[in-house]
Amino acid sequence: MSVLYSSFSPYYQNLLLQRHYLYNRSWRKKTLLKEYKQSGKSSIFLDKRIGERDENLGEFDKAILRFQRERQTQLKRKSRYNLSDGEVDDLAIPPTGALSTHDDFEDQISEDGDEDATGEDANISIHQNNERTPLEMSSLPEDENRQKTRKEVMEEIISKSKFYKAEKAQQKEDDENLMDKLNTDFTSLAQSDGFLSLLQPTKMQALKAILNKSSSRELGKEKLSSCAAEVPKEDEVDPYDKLVKSMALDMRARPSDRTKTPEEIAEEERQCLISLEEARKKRMLPTGDSDIEDDSGDEEFDTSSSRKLKSISGDDLGDSFEHEEETPKRGWVDEILEGKEHDESESEDESSVSESESDQDDSDLGNTQSVKDWEQSDDDNLHSDKEGEETPGEEGFQEEKNETHIKIQRLNAEKKNSNLGSGGDLPFVIDAPSSLKELSSLLENRPDDEVIEAIRRIRACNAITLAAENRKKMQIFYGLLLQYFAVLANSKPLNFKKINLLVGPLMEMNSETPYFAAICAQQRLVKMQNQLCDDLKHTGKHSWPSFKTLCLLRLWSMIYPCSDFSHVVMTPACLLMSEYLMRCPVTSSQDIVVGTFLCSMILAVAKQSHKFFPEAITFLRALLMSAADDKEKLKQHSWLEGTCAMELMLQPWLRLSDHVCDLQPLNLFRLIDMPANAPFFSSDGYRAGILVSVTETLRGFINTYEGLISFPEIFSSVSALLHDLIKQEYMPDLVVSSMQEIIQRIEEKSIEHQKLRQPLQMRKQKPVPIKEFNPKFEENFVKGRDYDPDRERAERRKLERQMKRETKGAARELRKDNYFLFEVKAKEKALEEEERAEKYGKAMAFLQEQEHAFKSGQLGKGRKRRRFCV
Amino acid sequence: MVRGYRINGVKRKKTEKAEDDRSFEEEEEKEVIVDEEREKGGKDEEEEVQLFGIPTGPIDQKAKSGIIFVLERASLEVAKVGKTYQILNCDDHATYLKKKNRDPAAYRPDIIHQALLAVLDSPLNKAGRLKAVYVQTEKNVLIRVNPHVRIPRTIKRFCGLMVQLLQKLSIRATNGPDILLRVVKNPVTRHLPIDSRRIGLSYSSPKVVQLHDYVTDAKDDVNLVFVVGAMAHGKITADYIDDFISVSEYPLSAACCIGRICNVVERKWNIL
Repeated sequence: MSVLYSSFSPYYQNLLLQRHYLYNRSWRKKTLLKEYKQSGKSSIFLDKRIGERDENLGEFDKAILRFQRERQTQLKRKSRYNLSDGEVDDLAIPPTGALSTHDDFEDQISEDGDEDATGEDANISIHQNNERTPLEMSSLPEDENRQKTRKEVMEEIISKSKFYKAEKAQQKEDDENLMDKLNTDFTSLAQSDGFLSLLQPTKMQALKAILNKSSSRELGKEKLSSCAAEVPKEDEVDPYDKLVKSMALDMRARPSDRTKTPEEIAEEERQCLISLEEARKKRMLPTGDSDIEDDSGDEEFDTSSSRKLKSISGDDLGDSFEHEEETPKRGWVDEILEGKEHDESESEDESSVSESESDQDDSDLGNTQSVKDWEQSDDDNLHSDKEGEETPGEEGFQEEKNETHIKIQRLNAEKKNSNLGSGGDLPFVIDAPSSLKELSSLLENRPDDEVIEAIRRIRACNAITLAAENRKKMQIFYGLLLQYFAVLANSKPLNFKKINLLVGPLMEMNSETPYFAAICAQQRLVKMQNQLCDDLKHTGKHSWPSFKTLCLLRLWSMIYPCSDFSHVVMTPACLLMSEYLMRCPVTSSQDIVVGTFLCSMILAVAKQSHKFFPEAITFLRALLMSAADDKEKLKQHSWLEGTCAMELMLQPWLRLSDHVCDLQPLNLFRLIDMPANAPFFSSDGYRAGILVSVTETLRGFINTYEGLISFPEIFSSVSALLHDLIKQEYMPDLVVSSMQEIIQRIEEKSIEHQKLRQPLQMRKQKPVPIKEFNPKFEENFVKGRDYDPDRERAERRKLERQMKRETKGAARELRKDNYFLFEVKAKEKALEEEERAEKYGKAMAFLQEQEHAFKSGQLGKGRKRRRFCV
Repeated sequence: MVRGYRINGVKRKKTEKAEDDRSFEEEEEKEVIVDEEREKGGKDEEEEVQLFGIPTGPIDQKAKSGIIFVLERASLEVAKVGKTYQILNCDDHATYLKKKNRDPAAYRPDIIHQALLAVLDSPLNKAGRLKAVYVQTEKNVLIRVNPHVRIPRTIKRFCGLMVQLLQKLSIRATNGPDILLRVVKNPVTRHLPIDSRRIGLSYSSPKVVQLHDYVTDAKDDVNLVFVVGAMAHGKITADYIDDFISVSEYPLSAACCIGRICNVVERKWNIL
């Protein structure tokens, strides 16, 4: 349609206007105008031709449809008898293209129809062409194939064979290259150390031969390349082949043994020890049984006859020398126990007595008591009380243990005499001792290394991993060992080396039976605390901890982690140490030594845990004050009215009275042995030594607590005190310099802390910032797209928009329709008007003509004319 | 069929005004609360002034006056590059700009990005003392930036935001009903408060001042409007500026200059 209009559209150059024009013309005129025109009419002409109403069908399709219909009607039986029109016969099978020429609307489709027809013709011809071409296409290549086979087959075969040859040659070359590479790799590998280390020495020769061969072969290969005819000698045996053959005969490599479990290791160790023990016994057998008996007799009666040198007894002179030698080996004891003295005249005696008593009890009562023994401290003051207090569960536990223990003991009863000799060789298989007596008899009079070895063997023979009952045994043994440790610490003179050596096994065993060990430690701590309370009740009684207690505390602080926030052993231990410092009144110079040592021990704990121990610092301060001259002046520092520390600071324990010429570090070991009223304690050297250790400990505390917020408050009084002390006369230079350092450090740190301090703020909460909003925007924003994340809403909005658009469009159409109709009506009106005007004009013209004629007298006489005129 | 422009304008204006009113009311409410608190605080302070050694918190007595920033000559130009609309910048669109016979050096949206970040991230803004920020682009589009907006941190996202702003003319918040960015009518003076002192910053100005003294000398009840250029070259030529000053003897970047101003004002008002 549009094509039709386009030919005479005035806007054929402007597409938009043209579309508009056509739209209006074609559509409105067809529908609205027709409707309008028929609106006033009673009869309607309907075009009912087939396909006339369908816009999509073209003229050609319409024609075909109509033609089909016609044929159908013709083919009906009824219509067979109809007379033909004559022209219909021609239509039998007319060419489709020609049909249009016979259309009813010949006049309308004047030129276009022809064009169509030609187009159709062309189309058809093209179709025919197309039909033909595939046939040709299929037939032609076949012919060509047939023709070419003869020639090309041969060519193809030749080219293929050539190609395969080339491929083969290529592969061969590749193989050679690979082989060369492998050779070089192998030589480099063979020369590397790692490979050589893996290789057996017998193979080395062969390998070297191969290496040489390979190098020579390479040379040979070059020769080969030069003269291809030469062939390598076949009869010469290749060292490589030799090696391969020998390898076939070799033993296969076997996987190494799997890693042993701890149980197996323990078992192995035990077996080893047992075998050694057997060997030892065999060695002894030939000499006769009497020897063993002699040995046992020796043990029992002649303890210090033959092994006097090794034994330790109270009155041995060489003893002290030995200890002097040992002191440098001491690890922690030497480090910390500087300037420490121990006085345990009463308590130790008591304890030793009670120990011996208890031991006797044990032997008397058989083995029933033995288990309890390890658990109880050697101070048996509270023995009876404790027994009552012990929980029934624990007792049951102990009883069980006792039973098992009794069995074991009976079994070993015969062996004991031979095995557990203190004088003889150390047996390899040692059963775990069940009482302190057994243990001490085993370890008595043995050199230190043998003691350790004995413990090791006991542990190896009764490893927990071997058997279930061993756990109980080891627990008992641990308890005994701990007790032995305590006893050693109480013994006079002290054997530091032995104590020190015991620490290692104790720590290891602690990890094996941690729960039990913790219980042991707790029990001991409770007892210590109870004793302290008792001592404090009786005023004037010596309440400071014994050396044994100190050793145990130190042992626990080494075994258990000090840095734990709360620990079953360490927390009560620390509290106990603080309590000692806080509550025990200082009555002698030894007390000061013990207190200083406790402070240093607390420092060791605090260094790790960074907990604050005010007791230690107060004690140190009090010590420093006691060194000051001017007590009145010092009173302003004091805020500890009525406490032990106050009493301490008011007495001039550490006041120097003269110049100290040689300031030597104090030896704890030496101080322990001194009696309470030894002249050394009143000497200035001792006082200066204590001052040195106090300042050093203080320095440690300052370094530890420098992170505390209240640092300036804690240590400002100390620095003031130190200021006073520096000014005093007789103060040794070393002390003064270290004090000055401490003062400087305190001041630096205080200033640092005070700088960081923020003033108190009126309102605690921070000012609230204004609220922030994030802008809503999309990446790759495209205008017009709806970015609503809610799909439904977006869809609805889209539909709404569409509806709005449609309503607008409808309104627009209606408006346009109105315009159109108005235009049509106006045109009609104008036409009518024009017609009317024309008619009017005509009539007027006629009348005027008549009038003219009348006036001019053409129409009659004068009389009538006059009347006409009126 | 199509609405007249005039009607549209009037309507828009109404809504804007309504919004403004709402925001003002809110602010006033806030201020009232703040005042009450301050009064309470003041009473407490009077009692506590006698106490020794207790410092008092920062008291801002000039909460009324605020600071307004105008960023002139920002290069925010949208163009259709390829299929999408983009903010032109000298890095990505150098060839495009050369084809169009433009100077690539003038297309620097990163300057305005940095400047906006410097303004809106300052404690001055967090304390709520920044009244508004206006951005005037080279193409004479005036954008009002709400102080509550959180500007995208990356330049790419910022450009995406600006593209959308310049096409949609307003940007809302994701977490609130507020309009954060809006294209408003020129000139900028119609948006500035009456009692405002407009200070232009220019390296070319002969009046080199110590900014701290300059700001402290200003009256407390006057709103300070700082006009800072956000262009790569040239200087701002705005006729509404009362006073041209130079804050440094060196040419400063926009962000640095804004940082200076913010610091000085924060010090003046004890904003930490």
